[in-house]
Amino acid sequence: MDTLVAQYSKPMFEKENYSQDDQMELYQAAPSLSLRFAMPPVAQPSAWLRAATDDNANPNCPIKIAHGTTTLAFRFQGGIIVATDSRATAGNWIASQTVKKVIEINNCLLGTMAGGAADCQYWLAYLGMQCRLHELRHKRRISVAAASKILANLVYSYKGMGLSMGTMCAGVTPSEGPALYYIDSDGTRLAGNLFCVGSGQTFAYGVLDAEYKYDMTEEEALALGSRSILAATHRDAYSGGFINLYHVKEDGWVKHGFSDTAPIFWKTKLEKGEFSNVTSELV
Amino acid sequence: MAAMFSQNPLMNGPNYSFNQAPSTSSGGNKEHAFYPYTDNGGSTLAISGSDFTIIAGDTRSTSGYSINTRFQPKVFKIGGTTSAQDDATLVLSVVGFAADGEALKERLDTIVKMYRYQHGKPMSVKACAQRLSTILYGKRFFPYYVTAILGGLDEEGKGAIYSYDPVGSYEREQCRAAGAAASLIMPFLDNQVNFKNQYMPGSGVGHELQEREKIPLKINEVEDLVKDAFDSAVERHIEVGDGLQMFVITKSGIEVIYKALKKD
Amino acid sequence: MPGFDFSNHTRNAALHARGVPLPKATSTGTTIVGCIFDGGVVNCEKLHYIAPQIWCAGAGTAADTEFTTALISSELELHSLSTGRKPRVVTCMTMLKQHLFRYQGHIGAYLVVAGVDPTGVGLFTVHAHGSTDKLPYVTMGSGSLAAMSVFETQWKSKMTEQEAVTLASNAIQAGIFNDLGSGSNVDVAIITKDKTTLKRGYVKPNERSKKQKSYVFKRGTTAVLNEKIITKEEISKYVTVHELGSGEATVGEKMDIDV
Repeated sequence: MDTLVAQYSKPMFEKENYSQDDQMELYQAAPSLSLRFAMPPVAQPSAWLRAATDDNANPNCPIKIAHGTTTLAFRFQGGIIVATDSRATAGNWIASQTVKKVIEINNCLLGTMAGGAADCQYWLAYLGMQCRLHELRHKRRISVAAASKILANLVYSYKGMGLSMGTMCAGVTPSEGPALYYIDSDGTRLAGNLFCVGSGQTFAYGVLDAEYKYDMTEEEALALGSRSILAATHRDAYSGGFINLYHVKEDGWVKHGFSDTAPIFWKTKLEKGEFSNVTSELV
Repeated sequence: MAAMFSQNPLMNGPNYSFNQAPSTSSGGNKEHAFYPYTDNGGSTLAISGSDFTIIAGDTRSTSGYSINTRFQPKVFKIGGTTSAQDDATLVLSVVGFAADGEALKERLDTIVKMYRYQHGKPMSVKACAQRLSTILYGKRFFPYYVTAILGGLDEEGKGAIYSYDPVGSYEREQCRAAGAAASLIMPFLDNQVNFKNQYMPGSGVGHELQEREKIPLKINEVEDLVKDAFDSAVERHIEVGDGLQMFVITKSGIEVIYKALKKD
Repeated sequence: MPGFDFSNHTRNAALHARGVPLPKATSTGTTIVGCIFDGGVVNCEKLHYIAPQIWCAGAGTAADTEFTTALISSELELHSLSTGRKPRVVTCMTMLKQHLFRYQGHIGAYLVVAGVDPTGVGLFTVHAHGSTDKLPYVTMGSGSLAAMSVFETQWKSKMTEQEAVTLASNAIQAGIFNDLGSGSNVDVAIITKDKTTLKRGYVKPNERSKKQKSYVFKRGTTAVLNEKIITKEEISKYVTVHELGSGEATVGEKMDIDV
């Protein structure tokens, strides 16, 4: 009864304006760290969201979120190679050919982006923030294991809400050496030597598994990363654009270019004799 | 682990080139649908140059086969000291659902205004771009049905545009078309701004042929490109037309140019 | 077998049930109108010939309007030949409605039939399901409401030919500008008992503006991986080659080139 009275004794139009919290948010130039998300006023927000945004379940959905990818990362004797394509698709539309799918969390930690572009961008930026806070609180850099677990726990708390991420965290720390983790929005978190993620993952695995050796030289490893992405862009329509290549070493990561696949493809074909299925001969 | 990526039909072996899932709704109880979105059509376009940015949008607002109005701007100045926005340095374009676009514009504008009052200087495009991303992502589970483009001049005075998806993934780009006629305009821009698929005649045979040199376009050339892009879009898309608003951002301020488009 | 071929129907129904989208037929987003005046009738947009003094404007599925009017035109001609009389507008309308009713709306033709026959002026609308109307002014298609608003405010009985043409043209333009499905130009047919005048592009309020820039590419801009030249001798193994002189006859259809 008290709750009922309380409910109806409030001024009638109290909720008409912005609430105190909302008002505060407008005054603050930087967003608050508390993660408050607006929710649709329905009983099943996730089902509603799926109907509105999942172009796979409903090709006519009004909001098409950017998807589609090939990303890979592998450990070898000289560190970790991280390579991605750069295409973003929304349905059959190529939304962009120049997406940066390697996210620089800090100068020795990298994250990769597969699945929803916004989900990955936002939560990896959030992870970057948490990693920095860890450094300030503990006076030492966060381990890759801990960083990846922050992300895994975070996405697990949103399980079933429709986040779509398949990400890899790669970094080198004094305690762990080169470390590589796979995290996805189901809540999976795996440590490993080699991962490929995205719609083109199978094509990348095909090349990477066949040629991978832990004792590769740095040069061989970079070439293999690049060649695996090339294979995926060649066979997966949802992958393409540019090859984004990184090498993570003890003293941080090094970028090895953002290179157009087209000339690399023809160079690979003509100089190495690969891709002989493709011909420019006229019959 | 693979479940979320099985969107590629080829992964499941040979397949029809059709969607397997029946698109017709299955039986069962029908409940009142919560459908808060409408598509108000229209298109926007942004191109950045060495010392300028142009953001343009048509002014038609539609629903279904009807025209709501022939003059509803999709491009807005953001973060000026007053509501007149005379000293604004940033421009936001929104296309998709006009009500969400309006709400987003108002929200970003108040935030950028507050920044200006508190810091005594306008917000940089880079900072504003990041802030816009978090605003959009804040509604990740109840998205703004809009495609936004933010434009201005960066810290070095170079033209900068940032394009967004409805939930806030963003990227700095040279040029971007959004909205109903994006698929008509974007290929034209790829070819005319970034000179995609253009090679220098006689620079070589076969694979030796050199790509056309990428020269930054001059401001009047970009204005012409924008007008031609919209004239063509109007010919082939019913939701685009009536008027064209062009916001030209240079270090001396923002000039707004209005040009007529076909009204049929 | 005359008539429609249904041999793919069962297969297509099965595919559709599995979620395959049906192929889309071209639909004419259209405004069509008709309006009678003293001694004749005007008819605007998307015009089809039925008989010399009977014309039909069509909206709906483009192919359906085309073939239905052609079929009825042919049947009406045979009917006219066997009776030895001029075809009547009512006859045409009746044949159309009977044909369309038989197919229960699956033939998506929405028509305005207008003409002059020995009984006088005739103006009808025929809907895809077979219903018809007989009115002094009619509109159909996606722009019909916009066009009807013009008629409802400005139509009067006993108009001159010029008044009727202007009114019908205004009605069409209301559709062109206010309905997204309609656009471009106004075509008009003016039918009197003596003659039919067809005016294509009676009003052209929507000419494309001149391009600001030239988009001519230098020859050699497009990359070529390989080329193969087929000589005249080779090609004549498969097709007959006619040598054309260099006179005026050589100029076939000339292509418009932007400069």
